[in-house]
Amino acid sequence: MRNMRVYVPILLAGLLTTTGSGHAADLVIGIPSWSSAKATAHVIKEVLEDKLKLDVELKEGTNEEIFAGMDDGTIDIHPEVWLPNLMALHDKYVIRRKSAIMSEKAVPGEQGLCVTRHTAEGHGIRKIEDLADPGKARKFDTDGDGRGELWVGDKDWASTRIEKIRARSYGHAQTMQLLEADETVAMAAVDAAVAVDRPIVFYCYAPHHVFSLHEIVFLEEPPHDPRDWRIIDPAEDAQWLTKSNAAVGWAISFLHVTYSSRLAESQPRAAQLLSAMKLDVDTVSSMTYAIVVEGMEPSEFARQWVATNGERVDAWLAAK
Amino acid sequence: MAGCEMIEKTRIQTIGSSSLVRPAGKKFLCVLMLVAGFLLPLTVHEVFAASSQIYDQTQRKWVAYTPDLARQFYRRHNQTPETFRRQVVPFRTAEKPGTIIIDSVRHFLYFVLPDKQAIRYGIGVGREGFGWTGIVKVGRKQEWPRWIPPKEMIERDPKLAKYADGMPGGPENPLGARALYLFEGKRDTLYRIHGTIEPWSIGLNISSGCIRMLNDDVTDLFERVEIGAKVIVLFQGASLLKGV
Repeated sequence: MRNMRVYVPILLAGLLTTTGSGHAADLVIGIPSWSSAKATAHVIKEVLEDKLKLDVELKEGTNEEIFAGMDDGTIDIHPEVWLPNLMALHDKYVIRRKSAIMSEKAVPGEQGLCVTRHTAEGHGIRKIEDLADPGKARKFDTDGDGRGELWVGDKDWASTRIEKIRARSYGHAQTMQLLEADETVAMAAVDAAVAVDRPIVFYCYAPHHVFSLHEIVFLEEPPHDPRDWRIIDPAEDAQWLTKSNAAVGWAISFLHVTYSSRLAESQPRAAQLLSAMKLDVDTVSSMTYAIVVEGMEPSEFARQWVATNGERVDAWLAAK
Repeated sequence: MAGCEMIEKTRIQTIGSSSLVRPAGKKFLCVLMLVAGFLLPLTVHEVFAASSQIYDQTQRKWVAYTPDLARQFYRRHNQTPETFRRQVVPFRTAEKPGTIIIDSVRHFLYFVLPDKQAIRYGIGVGREGFGWTGIVKVGRKQEWPRWIPPKEMIERDPKLAKYADGMPGGPENPLGARALYLFEGKRDTLYRIHGTIEPWSIGLNISSGCIRMLNDDVTDLFERVEIGAKVIVLFQGASLLKGV
């Protein structure tokens, strides 16, 4: 996921557009389109406004746009940078240009292929290797061609390309049709599959609200080993798919708040707070669930969250 | 028009005297009906008409579940199999109430309700499923919609030429009692959710791509759904790759 445009349910769409009111804000938070980043962005906004009395604007954008904005001074904060997915942007702006600073604190993330518990227990699909078995892959066939269908992500996601590589490496590219689609469609497909106990397998990442909505389990696979993880960038080689190989699990991902170097000079207290800010998987998951599934208005959710997590927020503010 | 409103005429075939219905590849899991000289409903778990098979007692083997069986069932019972009848079902989703989710594989249309429930309607879809996937919205609603047969359809069936300027809405109109016009942004996709004059066809893949519902069901949905409502068409195999 996350080099990428994740289309979340429409309930968020109207809530998360730029909230500029015509005057220059003290700082701008870029919002990529996946739900957990949006939830985190609203919490950061609430903390900065409530505790530091800053005027904060939210502005939607792709990862590339937000990093470029931190570079040119039009955006100050990216609420959730996934590594290693966005390593190229990290290297460009944090390492080489030094126009962005990545917090050392991170929330661990996980990604891979998931099934419903019914699929795992009722159909015995527990390992990624199972998908390369034509008989097992056929359980996911929805169009009668004898091959299963597997959603591997949005067409714009960096992870989608890697899932294609993994499918080829594991062998299920031969037995499964790899589908790219809007995440909203894919998640609704999970809902519909659960409703009729139909087996389904799909690319997944955590934290994500789907784990709270349904009983979802990751398929088992060999642990990540960098020696078996050879990913060629399409920009480097047109034969990237055949030259890449990754028949092992993803490395653990990490979600970092990132802010512009300029912010560290203009708003040092804000930068200090962002460096100290520490979330965790449960917090991000519950925030996302409240906004996406329960339909809470994001700013109202953020206000309540900050109010009920006063000690935690104060600790961030007090950190040196 | 997209040409999705015309129900394709199907051949009548003789079905064996006793039949079970199951989804392809699932032995005895989803028994729909037993035919013993006539069709009797048994336990219904789920039916996948397009990809389903029936157990023909005469031939003693599983054979394709065809439109003919659907015709026979409807003729006997004057209604669709239970699984395709309108019903409230548990449905956990992040989509907000009022959203429509179309599962053309299972021939279900879900209208999302509060409290993790949905109304599930049986639908009929195109020969190749719905033909596309994606997110659209209800751009317009129409009672007793007018039907304009596509040019290609008139070429295939010259008798339709008299409706080249449109067939008025009414009980003979293939679009049935109501139609929901699906838009992508401000653009009419030319796909519709509409009623039907062939209620037996619910649960089958035999139209040209639109979503057909029983007239009572599409009327019920029409009353519930709002203009602008989100419609999610789930993927079915390669149709996903085509987009809207």
